Amino acid sequence: MNGLKRILLVEDDPKDVELTLTGLSEYNLANEVVVARDGEEALDYLYRRGNHQARGNGNPAVMLLDLKLPKLNGFEVLEQVRTDDNLKMIPVVVLTSSHEEPDLVKSYKLGVNAYVVKPVDFHQFVNAVKELGVFWAVINEPPPGSVRKP
Amino acid sequence: MKSAVSLEKRDLKTAESAPGIAGVAFRYGLALGAVTVAAAVAVLTWHYGIPHGQASIFLFAIAVAAWYGGLGPTIVAVVCSAFTYSYFFTPPLRNFVLSHEDLPHLVLFTSFALLVGWFTLVRRRVERQLQRSRNELEIKVLERTADLQASRQKYRELIDASPDAIFVWDQDGNCVLCNASAARLYCCAERELIGLSIADTYVPAERDVIRERFDRSRNEGVLRFERQFLRKNNEVVPVEVSLSTAGKEHYQAVLRDISGRKRAEEELRKQAELLSLAHDAIIVRDPESRITFWNPGAEKTYGWTAAEAIGKVTHELWQTTFPGPFDQINAMLLRTGRWEGELIHTKRDGTRVVVASRWSLRRDEHGAPAAILEINRDVTERKRAEEEIRKLNEKLEQRVIERTGELQAVNKELEAFAYSVSHDLRAPVRHIAGFTELLQKHAEAVLDEKSRHHINTILDSANRMGTLVDDLLAFSRIGRTETQNTTVDLSRILKGVIGEFAPDTQGRKVVWRIGNLPKCHGDPAMLRLVFTNLVSNALKFTRTREPAEIEIDTLNHSPAEVVVFVKDNGVGFDMRYKDKLFGVFQRLHSHEAFDGTGIGLATVQRIVHRHGGKVWPESSVDHGATFYVALPKPGKVKQ
Repeated sequence: MNGLKRILLVEDDPKDVELTLTGLSEYNLANEVVVARDGEEALDYLYRRGNHQARGNGNPAVMLLDLKLPKLNGFEVLEQVRTDDNLKMIPVVVLTSSHEEPDLVKSYKLGVNAYVVKPVDFHQFVNAVKELGVFWAVINEPPPGSVRKP
Repeated sequence: MKSAVSLEKRDLKTAESAPGIAGVAFRYGLALGAVTVAAAVAVLTWHYGIPHGQASIFLFAIAVAAWYGGLGPTIVAVVCSAFTYSYFFTPPLRNFVLSHEDLPHLVLFTSFALLVGWFTLVRRRVERQLQRSRNELEIKVLERTADLQASRQKYRELIDASPDAIFVWDQDGNCVLCNASAARLYCCAERELIGLSIADTYVPAERDVIRERFDRSRNEGVLRFERQFLRKNNEVVPVEVSLSTAGKEHYQAVLRDISGRKRAEEELRKQAELLSLAHDAIIVRDPESRITFWNPGAEKTYGWTAAEAIGKVTHELWQTTFPGPFDQINAMLLRTGRWEGELIHTKRDGTRVVVASRWSLRRDEHGAPAAILEINRDVTERKRAEEEIRKLNEKLEQRVIERTGELQAVNKELEAFAYSVSHDLRAPVRHIAGFTELLQKHAEAVLDEKSRHHINTILDSANRMGTLVDDLLAFSRIGRTETQNTTVDLSRILKGVIGEFAPDTQGRKVVWRIGNLPKCHGDPAMLRLVFTNLVSNALKFTRTREPAEIEIDTLNHSPAEVVVFVKDNGVGFDMRYKDKLFGVFQRLHSHEAFDGTGIGLATVQRIVHRHGGKVWPESSVDHGATFYVALPKPGKVKQ
């Protein structure tokens, strides 16, 4: 948990974490994932405090963010990230069950880079997560200060 | 009359006074003549041998002269008689010489003559005086008679001039005097009335009281009463009678015809009855606001009786609250002759009433304000009702606001619910599907055919559940999201929709017949959803047809709305179930035959209703179905 990873997955539901990791493991990206179980932990990780005090320097290449989270929700995390000079360049992808337009609008207003609705169908879900992981963690050139590809 | 009296007076005076020279000559002549006749008669008697009595003949002549001639002729007659008697009948006869023999005769004769003359003169004077007194008395009587006649005439004129009928009845009730008005009243000539019995002027029912009334008038003085007067022609006239005694034996009755007054009274009474029927308070007041008329409605409204109210000043009695300065109101009344407004009055019991008041001014013939008619209607109840309605309205508005608030709260809750469904309900479905898939992957080798079938069923159900959740969320979104209001080109929308279905129709033979679709008013995204659902259904239920025929066109039957229909040659449905068609999750076909969540037509209806339109089907089993959608035309939207 202390190591610096390329993908920060903020997801409270362990089943979703498992399915997501399953998807990412197909491209061997599972090891590049650090999971935060709520919004507060996500910020702790980003600010290197609490359990994540000892992690190495730098930001993740991408943050996969669920919206419905305990403590601080996804919007609050996003808002905090976007107002912090050191964090605001982190690419953030909302990965949520919600199809609701207000969620979509609010996310983009807060400066999200992508919005993905988790498909109910397993294959679609796995494909979606796989492609997300590959694109943001591998293909995309992250902003300076991020964890680089190995 | 007077002149006649004075004439008579003059005649009397003339007879009494001396007739002048002619009268003097007559008187002396009469004296001389009487003596001459006496001498002649005496000589004749002497001549025929009557020896005595000649002296008395002369005395008779002297008396005549004294009676008719007065003092002078009497003396002349005495002297002449003395000479003549001495000449003829005292010795010496036939000579005037006075002898001692005839001197006593002569003296005696002269004394007698003087005595007779004197007596006669006195007698005559007395007679004259008596005559004069009698004449004077007679003149007085004449004068009195004339006066009496004059006053009687005056009285007559007076009673004839009276418009009232005047009868004088005697003790037995017979008419002894009447006037012209009485004759007119009875309808006959005046003279016919004299002797008429009073009973004939009474209606039979009232005749008993005649005697009693006579007696009462004698005891009580003037008696006033009203009665029915019976005319000669049997007509009955109401009269007012003043009965009084006239002397000891007569009764005077003054009768006034009051039929006109009775009529007026009757009219007034009727008018008053009308006014008393009115619920409104009707009052008349003079320009100083003193009440002169007060109807029963006013009594009912305010509590004071007419007797109590008349003479009072209105605004003092009622403690009126005027809607503006009284001077201005009065000025308006004087200027326009009328005023209307609401006033607050205090009733007798102290409660306040609101009245709708109408005033109208009546002016006299000189144009000066004479009286004001004021009609007041108690509108307290109405006011209270109005106030109640106002309060109710306020309450209602408040409740509408509250309800709107509640509704908004419910809507918020619904949104929160949908949000949570969106987040939380989909996740387990996804997990079921995901982990079943993983299970399948890992255990495929060890699973038998039956287990694989079960796993497939689980996956199928999970996916179906996911679709249901998504459709339900989409459906709930229709009610929650704002709709746009723009002009929508239905042709373009349909083109897009049909394009969307192109992949699904691959391998099928579908004949599209698209008419020239009109423009309508509404939300483009939502209307697109409507036609997506309708076209989707049409394609779905024509799956068994070769070729499938789908016709989309418009009906031009109303200027206010456009009607577009989507017609297919599919399996159709039984019209008995048409009402179930639009219910959420209502399906008329089995899953095996036609898949679907049963939410498409519910969505269609919801959107169309939100646009103020209608949707209705037409179908029969196996003969296709037609769905009609009526939508408002641009510019015809009800706001």
